[in-house]
Amino acid sequence: MNSRVLRSAALALVLAGCSSQPSAPAKPLVLSPDAVRLAAQATFGPTAAVVGDIQQRGAAAWIDAQLQLPPTDLGSYPVIADDVNAVCPTGSPASCYRDNFTPFLSEAAFFRNAISGADQLRQRVAFALSQVVVVSGAEVRPNYGIAEYEKLLLRDAFGTYRQLLEDVTLSPAMGRYLNMVNNDKPNLPRGTEPNENYAREVMQLFSIGLVQLRPDGSTVTDSSGAPVPTYDQNAVIGLAHVLTGWTYPLQAGATQRTHNPPYYLGSMVVVPSNHDTAAKTILGGTQIPAGQTPAADLAQALDTIAGHPNVGPFIGKQLIQALVTANPNPEYVGRISAVWADDGHGVRGNLGAVVRAILLDPEARGDVKADPSYGRVKDPVLLLTGPARALGVTTDGVYFARASASLEQPPYLSPTVFNFYPPDYTPESKLVSPASALLDSASVFNRANVFVQLLFSPPGPDKTVTGATGTQITLGDLAPFGNDSGALVDSIDALLFHGTLSAAQRLAVLDAVNAQPSGPSWVRAAAYAVLTSPHYQVER
Amino acid sequence: MRISRRDVLSGLSMIGLSAGLLGGRRTARAANDDYRALVCVFLFGGNDGNNMVVPVDARYADYAAARRQLTDGGLALAMDQLLPLAPASGPAQFGFHPSMPELQQLWNQGSLAVLFNVGTLVAPTSKADDSAGRVPRPESLMSHQDQQNQWQTSLPDRPSRTGWGGRLADQLPSAPLPPLVSVAGNVLFALGASSHPLAVPGAGGPTFGLSGFNSSAGSRALVTAMDVLRGLDLDNALIQSVAGETAAAFAASGMLSPVLSGTGSTTDALFESQPSVLGNQLLQVARIIEARSVLGATRQIFFVAIGGFDTHNDQLDRQGPLLAEVSSSLSAFHAATVQLGVASQVTTFTLSDFGRTLAPASGGGSDHAWGNHHLVLGGAVQGRQTYGTFPTLALGGPDDFTAQGRWLPTTSTDQYAATLARWFGVAPGDLTAVLPNLGRFASADLGFLG
Repeated sequence: MNSRVLRSAALALVLAGCSSQPSAPAKPLVLSPDAVRLAAQATFGPTAAVVGDIQQRGAAAWIDAQLQLPPTDLGSYPVIADDVNAVCPTGSPASCYRDNFTPFLSEAAFFRNAISGADQLRQRVAFALSQVVVVSGAEVRPNYGIAEYEKLLLRDAFGTYRQLLEDVTLSPAMGRYLNMVNNDKPNLPRGTEPNENYAREVMQLFSIGLVQLRPDGSTVTDSSGAPVPTYDQNAVIGLAHVLTGWTYPLQAGATQRTHNPPYYLGSMVVVPSNHDTAAKTILGGTQIPAGQTPAADLAQALDTIAGHPNVGPFIGKQLIQALVTANPNPEYVGRISAVWADDGHGVRGNLGAVVRAILLDPEARGDVKADPSYGRVKDPVLLLTGPARALGVTTDGVYFARASASLEQPPYLSPTVFNFYPPDYTPESKLVSPASALLDSASVFNRANVFVQLLFSPPGPDKTVTGATGTQITLGDLAPFGNDSGALVDSIDALLFHGTLSAAQRLAVLDAVNAQPSGPSWVRAAAYAVLTSPHYQVER
Repeated sequence: MRISRRDVLSGLSMIGLSAGLLGGRRTARAANDDYRALVCVFLFGGNDGNNMVVPVDARYADYAAARRQLTDGGLALAMDQLLPLAPASGPAQFGFHPSMPELQQLWNQGSLAVLFNVGTLVAPTSKADDSAGRVPRPESLMSHQDQQNQWQTSLPDRPSRTGWGGRLADQLPSAPLPPLVSVAGNVLFALGASSHPLAVPGAGGPTFGLSGFNSSAGSRALVTAMDVLRGLDLDNALIQSVAGETAAAFAASGMLSPVLSGTGSTTDALFESQPSVLGNQLLQVARIIEARSVLGATRQIFFVAIGGFDTHNDQLDRQGPLLAEVSSSLSAFHAATVQLGVASQVTTFTLSDFGRTLAPASGGGSDHAWGNHHLVLGGAVQGRQTYGTFPTLALGGPDDFTAQGRWLPTTSTDQYAATLARWFGVAPGDLTAVLPNLGRFASADLGFLG
């Protein structure tokens, strides 16, 4: 260990030595494996408290309670002009750009809420949605605009998909990101055509995908075995014309213009004179009659898209992959598509009901899953929040915002609209594993080195961040076991592996633990050994 | 950083065993004059080739008419801004985007060639064949992800879990390190059926090894636990996959981490004038090439990338800085290969999702299209020439399969890749193992590598 690591570990050891009283050996954590698994699927990482809550209420009642919780506040951020030179003139501190024109502060809030918010399921589902209906601070620079979009996803996480799609479509952040804002009707003198960007991606990525699917997620093929496309270029062009005539919301006190200046609170507004009122043909040959208003055109198009039979298997399967397993059996996808089609009360695309069904499905529940293809490689974000929650981290989120960038998954800062990874990424294992796209020989070391820092020398307050409190690690649920390596490994097994560590794995961890001085160093060493293991990186 | 003495020693002992050339031409020892490298530069998002290479002869009028003037919300670059690309004799017919002066210079030096209207093709096609449906189009044409994948697999008519870089690496004899190195993370291009790429950080990036460890008993016990744990209970395929990636990283770290940290590099200074993301990736490639002997490498394939080319809006403001980064980075890299004496043993080439519409889109940008122009750079390149057929710049014209200026490609990715692969040393009879669809096209050698 380098001297800095050694110093802080030694300091912690001294403090622990001063405060600990002789006492009876702590009893190792005993937790229901299925409850631990549900916590891993539905929260940002199991803690003894949340697992106890699940055990007490039962899985369904715990989920129902989570569905009722309102979003934890993401904070509010100053509304600024979308103009770096005006907001941060030459001579401004570097924090001006960082705080106003990158999502840094809202990412710190994201991690505070992910690590300690009560509305864990909502936060987790909104994070999953943020990787489907992607908006990135790489293009939409004002932080308040990104935060507004994140609040939209938190608010709509358990509503209907049709509502989510409408809110996303009219979000000024999305409008800016995929060029629906100020998308004007054809201009013959200038030779410009409506912008196809949002029209294409709303179908390809946000709703139905490229090829026709059966309810169980399998691909429909033609007589020659080729996949049947869901739409063609003409449908993209038709929808691009439908989506003309919208501009930024009007900031209070400003004058309405055909192209309002960038403003990211509320929904985009219509500019009828920029809307193409000709008839259009969109997805599935649906005819949009001539002469409709922009809003009527939009409503008809969104009804068509959200009503397409692909949406259930296409989006439902991605939610299964984000929460439970990357290679669900077709029957599982089919059951979720059925709930998508009708939540039991005649409502289509009820996301709360879909999430509940995903988590309560027999393929999700149970103490142990032995199928060799079961499970999901964890997102880097979960590799940060999981240890933080289990090991009693208190944080202002700053360290986590930075660490998520070094692990290539800074929330709401995806490199492109295609998210941090494709949903069908297939590494050599021959299994789909989206998050494996972020695991390569370089990231192996990045991850291990983040764990070293978090466990042994978490950074204190960053003086350039207003109100910073830094990151502290108390070792949380594992703190009591610094003098009993057997109970320590038992407890890690229960909390992080739902009791699946083998005798050989336990022995390997114990060997590493016993080579350190007892006390907190034992907990840190045990945690480092298991967090860097391949087994921790896969949730199953 | 951990550099295991054992790893270094075992790596060195393997160098003597590494086999030499491809294609069975002859068995060779690892030696500098056997070395060859391909460097793939992926321009993610779909570079607008229509503004990268612009005709400066009579065809400029077609270009300007379709692209429209800036004052009119259009995308046309002014004729007097373009950097002329004069051939060895005669007047220039084309010019580069004004942000590419370094690449213009490399053109003038004869090290750079331009390849016109390349694209993903299931088979040779024409506007008549395409509109009648006689030649199927690539699957999911104009979708970023699918077209990125198809440029990397060169298999536009089927899903593939291998890329043509990986299949090229499959042809190579075993070496101490994987021959394919990505400085841009996991990419389909690099996956082979039997070979697996390494991914390394760019120069100035994070360390390629563990931090926070020393030689104490506690440190050693933790490293031992990690070694043991990644070999245990691999009963789940996903865990197995993660364990494999982890083991590969540790196996390579000992040999590579000193190289990646710049130890012994003599070309760093060439990249210092304009540091950039792409420049840092190419510097890392230059460092690895410089260390080829100690690494026991005789054939290497590199992958670097730059994103941001999806210019649906404000294209004139956005594409220039990206092309400037490409120009300055490639120029620094070429200078590094010259300094290292391997300029004619390293060939650098561009890939991108697709070309973009010639007609401007609302918002001062362009939309997804198909065929596109590309660059090939290196001492072995027959430069100062263009290859392939330049499209007729007319909306709805003979090369446009829509009305917005989307070019039907006249050269396939298979032909492009085959030309590179042959130069790299793949025997003609082995080319179809790398490029299964190659036989559908007339020529397997476009001539830009002599």
